[in-house]
Amino acid sequence: MRFDTVIIGGGLAGLTAGISLQEAGRSTAIVSTGQNALHFFSGSFESLEEAPERIVGLFARAGIPLHYSPGVRLMPLGTFRPAALSLDDVSLLDQPKFARKVLIVNFQDYQDFFSSFLADGLRHQGIACRIVTPGHLADPSMRVRAGELRSVQIARTMDKFWEKAVQEIRILLKDEDAVILPQVFGLEDPTIPGRIRAGIPARVIFVGTLPPSVPGTRTQRLLKRRYEALGGTYLAGDKVLQARVEGGRVRNVTTRNLGGHILEADHFILATGGYFSKGLKSNPFRVYEPVFGLDVRQEADRSKWYDADFQAEQPYMAFGVETDAALHPLRDGQPLGNLYAVGSVLGATRPELGSGAGLALRSALAAVDQILSPLDL
Amino acid sequence: MDAREFDVIIIGGGITGAGTQRDCAMRGLRTLLIERSDIATGATGRNHGMLHSGARYAVSDPESAAECIRENRILRQIAAHCIEETDGLFVTLPEDDPHYQATFVDACRRAGIRAEVIDPAQARRLEPSVNPALTGAVRVPDGAVDPFRLCAANMLDAKIRGGQVRLHVDVTGFIREGDALVGVHTRNRLTGEKVDYFAPVIVNAAGIWGHGIAALAGVDIKMYPAKGALLIFAHRVNQMVINRCRMPSNADILAPGDTVCIVGTTSTRIPYKNLFNVAVTPEEVDLLITEGAKLAPSLASTRILRAFAGVRPLVSADDDPTGRSISRGIVCLDHEERDGLKGFITITGGKLMTYRLMAERATDLVCRKLGVDKPCTTATTPLPGSEERSYEAVAQRIWEAPSTAQKAAASRLGTDAARLRDDRAGTALVCECEEVSVSEIDNAIERLDVSTLTDLRRRTRVGMGTCQGGFCACRAAGMLARAHGDTDKARKDLRNFMTERWKGNFPIGWGDTLREAEYTQWVYKHVLGL
Repeated sequence: MRFDTVIIGGGLAGLTAGISLQEAGRSTAIVSTGQNALHFFSGSFESLEEAPERIVGLFARAGIPLHYSPGVRLMPLGTFRPAALSLDDVSLLDQPKFARKVLIVNFQDYQDFFSSFLADGLRHQGIACRIVTPGHLADPSMRVRAGELRSVQIARTMDKFWEKAVQEIRILLKDEDAVILPQVFGLEDPTIPGRIRAGIPARVIFVGTLPPSVPGTRTQRLLKRRYEALGGTYLAGDKVLQARVEGGRVRNVTTRNLGGHILEADHFILATGGYFSKGLKSNPFRVYEPVFGLDVRQEADRSKWYDADFQAEQPYMAFGVETDAALHPLRDGQPLGNLYAVGSVLGATRPELGSGAGLALRSALAAVDQILSPLDL
Repeated sequence: MDAREFDVIIIGGGITGAGTQRDCAMRGLRTLLIERSDIATGATGRNHGMLHSGARYAVSDPESAAECIRENRILRQIAAHCIEETDGLFVTLPEDDPHYQATFVDACRRAGIRAEVIDPAQARRLEPSVNPALTGAVRVPDGAVDPFRLCAANMLDAKIRGGQVRLHVDVTGFIREGDALVGVHTRNRLTGEKVDYFAPVIVNAAGIWGHGIAALAGVDIKMYPAKGALLIFAHRVNQMVINRCRMPSNADILAPGDTVCIVGTTSTRIPYKNLFNVAVTPEEVDLLITEGAKLAPSLASTRILRAFAGVRPLVSADDDPTGRSISRGIVCLDHEERDGLKGFITITGGKLMTYRLMAERATDLVCRKLGVDKPCTTATTPLPGSEERSYEAVAQRIWEAPSTAQKAAASRLGTDAARLRDDRAGTALVCECEEVSVSEIDNAIERLDVSTLTDLRRRTRVGMGTCQGGFCACRAAGMLARAHGDTDKARKDLRNFMTERWKGNFPIGWGDTLREAEYTQWVYKHVLGL
């Protein structure tokens, strides 16, 4: 099978590149193992300080409204972090004291939303809090199911019963000027968070839960849907086993599920992610890139991979594949001319490209621009 | 009676202190146990978790071996819910001296340890993970023991019998009357509260820290802090304990425990000042993997969960400043006889396996000093939770059709699992890796003196599984915050807990461990905002 571009990795960076290329009329395929960092996406694109119209437009066409407003956001453990470009259901606040009194609503027995930490953090800002966990907020079937109540499970129920929840919250609301809800709304339908906001006569703030992230899961689905609607070939649950490199260029790759068929292309994009997504692997001796065996920037001495402080910047997170200025990764010191490395496989942070979701978007678009440029051969 | 007066004060919340408190309480004494940190934080919780048959010591230390096998039989009776009867193999590898086996078997038999020579093929059938190159094997009655559970059960029994326990409390000095100790000054490490407690007898059961406690009383005990490093693997590759059939050396035991297995140890003398921060070095990690893989080759490719180290409280014989004549036997010092200081006893040396016997000796001496004439009954009285032998039977009797999580709870709590709530909220899981439910956490907070997440981990296994707290630590922190009404403290506690987990992860940080670490560190920082 032959494409203009084959993208290895179906997370934020791979899908962004795929959609952009399809929109420009190129034929592409994405090979995705299925595990990517969107499943623990916070909802904010880190390190994108400017208002990127190109990204907002790309997401809007995929049915994902973004908003841009530099400020702070309320984190699940009651702290505040700077944020600018975010999914619509992340509330961007001018200042940490955003209300006089808030009502924190949680589902009964749901342990992955930290109401008491939130209340504590808000009280430090001088905001009064009332926590409620109404027993009948959701569909009764959810109440009787024993065992584990997790974000995606609640979100599935809430896709059906969110209007009922809004009614109940309206009854619970007294003199509070803001309501805090867990981010478990709109797994399928991205308009639900906005409709909940419209239905409650107070400011509604959605706050994250333990992963899986409902907004992240929804974003992944919508981007994938948009990519396929544009004619992209998304090979889900597949994995690149082997790559053929000749004369400093990638000729083709072989995957697990396509049997004897090879994937040929003019350009290849490596968007396989960091350690979690297995774009980077490690053994006691080194960190390596498993698909092409690319050069990885790292410390040779294992004892220098870590900082003993759990919260410190960890050196291993900055390891990533070496590239030239055009994002062509190096193998044995030589760039592979038609391969681009994008997203966390470059390392958690890169000067000029930022970190996390911001890094994924910036590097993906930079690779796309080069592929679309007539100068790129 | 003044609530600050007791018959005996025990310093140290490891297995020796807990066992001594139980024994004293069973003989009718009013007891107080003081521990500077949490239960089982020293050598008690930092070892293989192995129910030694004594075979390991048979050749080098026949007296310890005989003590071990006697206590092994007793613990199977009184602590059934803390023990798994696995049996063990002593395997001879091609590089080992082939003649050692005969010496070993002979020594075992003299110590009263059943030692059955089996052929290598049969050993491989019994224990498929064993190195297939083995040239000889001996089967012995080794097993697995959960030291945290054993320690908590001893303390719980003492409390049921009226004993009091103060955790996170430092002994800052002794109160003297003439040539006798009559009490202790203490300071609570969490609240700063200072309290004096009084008793005519004080027992120093502080393990390697006993050196410092004795120094506070003006008494010198020469100890030899010997660090031992171990690795925990994320899967249980072996059903039986696997030992090397040779003179005890580095990394020659692979012990199974619950869902994991542990290989160790090394032995290095360390200075006293390093006691509070014992780190595992990359060289130790490499040695443990290389030697461990000789016992069970699949260890070379098994994910490692943690690296950790403990410090053995070995005691030098008196007047031996070189530390050469080290004993691993029990040391019970009557400081009245030894140093002319009345009311002070040190119980140390020994092993996890012989804690009950150590407690018996210390308690005999306490009773003699107090003029109490009651026999020791700890060898025949089951610990709370151990009244039944099979946890599956216990679970069945409590729940009729128990879930796997309920079976796990019964295996941890024994008959005490009957206290757990079985409604929907109570059975919700906090820790998926180890299947720990909400009600099990509630039970620990209510009955087992829990101040911090780390305390909770030792009592319930929360955070001990493959996620190393990635998911469950936040949930459990939320529960502690509610129970103690202090969210600020809970948030700090969560940070400390994750740092403590990381300390055991980064020495083995590669492969899946690094993958899990990246996920956890990213989520805590960027998603949760710790």
